[in-house]
Amino acid sequence: MSRVELNKVWKIYPRGNVIGVKDLTFTIQDKEFLAILGPSGGGKSSTLRMLAGLEEISKGEISFDGKVVNQLGPAERNIALAFESYALYQRLSVYENIAFPLRARKMPKAAVHEKVTFIAELLDLKDLLKKFPPSLAGGQQQRVSLARAFVRQPNLTLLDEPISHMDQRVRAEIRARIRHLHDEMKNTTVYVTHDQAEAVSLCDRIVILHQAELQQIGTVEEIWNRPANRFVAFFVGEPAMNFLPAKVEGERALSVASAQGRRSLALLAAVPPKYAGRELTLGLRPQQIKVHRRDPGGNCLPGKVRLIEFQGETTVLTLNIGGEGNTEMKAVVAATERYAAGETVWLAAEAKNMHLFDGEEVILKK
Amino acid sequence: MAEVILKNVTKLYGRKRAVNGVSLTCREGEFLSIFGPTGAGKSTILKMIAGIEPITSGRVLFNGRQVNELPPQERNVSMAFESYNLYPHLNVYDNIAFPLRAPRWGLKLSHKEERGKVEEIANFLGIGDLLERLPQHLSGGQKQRVSLARALVRRPEVYLLDEPIAHLDARLKFSTQSLLKEFASRYKATIIYVTHDYREALALSDRIAVLRKGCIEQEGGPEDIYYRPVSDFVGRLIGEPPMNLLDGQIVEQGGRTCFQAGSSFTLPVREGLAASMRSSARQENGSLVTRLGIRCEYIKLARERISESSFQLPVYAIVHEAESSVVTFELANVFFYARVRQELGLVDYRVSEKLWVEFDQQHMMFFPKTIELSAKV
Repeated sequence: MSRVELNKVWKIYPRGNVIGVKDLTFTIQDKEFLAILGPSGGGKSSTLRMLAGLEEISKGEISFDGKVVNQLGPAERNIALAFESYALYQRLSVYENIAFPLRARKMPKAAVHEKVTFIAELLDLKDLLKKFPPSLAGGQQQRVSLARAFVRQPNLTLLDEPISHMDQRVRAEIRARIRHLHDEMKNTTVYVTHDQAEAVSLCDRIVILHQAELQQIGTVEEIWNRPANRFVAFFVGEPAMNFLPAKVEGERALSVASAQGRRSLALLAAVPPKYAGRELTLGLRPQQIKVHRRDPGGNCLPGKVRLIEFQGETTVLTLNIGGEGNTEMKAVVAATERYAAGETVWLAAEAKNMHLFDGEEVILKK
Repeated sequence: MAEVILKNVTKLYGRKRAVNGVSLTCREGEFLSIFGPTGAGKSTILKMIAGIEPITSGRVLFNGRQVNELPPQERNVSMAFESYNLYPHLNVYDNIAFPLRAPRWGLKLSHKEERGKVEEIANFLGIGDLLERLPQHLSGGQKQRVSLARALVRRPEVYLLDEPIAHLDARLKFSTQSLLKEFASRYKATIIYVTHDYREALALSDRIAVLRKGCIEQEGGPEDIYYRPVSDFVGRLIGEPPMNLLDGQIVEQGGRTCFQAGSSFTLPVREGLAASMRSSARQENGSLVTRLGIRCEYIKLARERISESSFQLPVYAIVHEAESSVVTFELANVFFYARVRQELGLVDYRVSEKLWVEFDQQHMMFFPKTIELSAKV
């Protein structure tokens, strides 16, 4: 287990001079569970491959516990990997698959047995040890693949989209197991995914990459409440943050066009004077909007219910605010609150949950 | 738009019953989902309605008229498949316009009318700027939206959509789902929709038919399926995490009827529920066994004892969601999950910490065992 540092790391693919990763600097703390999150083509895979030693680092340094590993291969870096595609050895039993990385390191037989038994116990694989991968269900194969990654204590464990394609019936279980495994073993772990829900659910901190660049690194709470820019605000959260045109009316006042004229909203902090009178973008998370049948006063907008999507525990409403842009918004309500299409309701937001953007840039830092 | 009725429809592949005596009605203007796991026979039903797959026995009726013998082109349906099926040599525009040009429907649109219709649906689905491209230059998600646009561009008697948004990424899936819902309500369209994704089924449908091994397991509105599953199979298919299922036996203790799981877990069951618990039970090795079902949002957690029927368990793992956390416990060899809403900041429970757990008995159900539990997934 190691502290892993990336220092001004670049990946430039000579063919076409494509920049895969641009000037990336961040640190993975010892024993930390960190997600690298971003849309495809954002630089996640290049970063993962450079961490693993599968791809050359064009510029900059990667170091493990202060020691630069740029020139070391995957084995010398002592990395464990688990992929989306399991990559199990089909002709080896489950036991031998898990034991493989230990045998490769010439561990004595008794120690191998002890380690395999321990991890098999943790992942509920004891009854499967004599079976062969082709006879296993997908969830079982994924558990074997995880067992192989966690059977020894490498410097760094890399998990590449290990659950995104799994059935909803097993996903919750695999998530819980991965998190439990990490809490037990305390491996320094990097989890690469394009799925923001996976990253949010499993990891201590999240690195967000987009267009080869670092957008933000922080805890789930920081990323959720204090997104560094509009991209991050939009990318994390489902349904995504609502964006509405809003005009700066005063130091702490905005106005938003609605079917019932311009509504004014109060801000928690002062907008810098240079934005006075400007048209900016207000960001409101659908999960942080409260829906009322009557005007509750305070920061709220009238909205006409257009679509109602039942999700089980919650219902997602799509609403029209009206006004010149006829802005659309989504709000998440408890499924027990019932609304009808065509009904006009009031959407209230607390000032602390209001985000303000000028283009991509965040205006009010919290 | 038409009403579609299936009467006792069966499909045999050799000796295998892919669809077994399915009777189903999709009313005019209704959004009906056929929902179930892979291999349940969902697509086969849709193909029989379309006329692509011959019917072994039973009847398919459009507006009361039997269509069993009609070839696909004579049934006025539009289809979108999971596997796109785009014409590789035609650009996106021509792919979408294709059904408008079929002489069979006698639309005889002018160039301008045709362009209007193609652009309208393409813009609606967010692919308006791809019209000149060839399919080979599109991503999977783009191809899938083209395929959907081609199905929606015309007004047939019924739309048959087979996993039409399965290959979109999460964000796009969610927004396209809303668009489909809007489309359905705007055109009062009769839509039969095949999906294995419970979120789509719940959000889109007026009614859902849950399919299991070629038979209908349950039919009802989204809320019936979510709140009142008829079996452990349906409960498990819906929700993430899915409904918690716990095996145990019925025991009498201190004059109360209890549900007992494993050796140490005994839960007194309230009066009204005991009868339903007994009726779900079966004799097994001399004891009465049953299966308890409860959704994760109906489990309450606290550091202090909650009530007389609460019990203590160590936390196995905690995973966070944006506005809630899912706490996992292990009990009698299965996992169960409790969702905690975090209106007041992050949940600070720790792994291995013992918490008090309470099941909301209003939302507890009992089922006969019909599926294997996922300890062995």
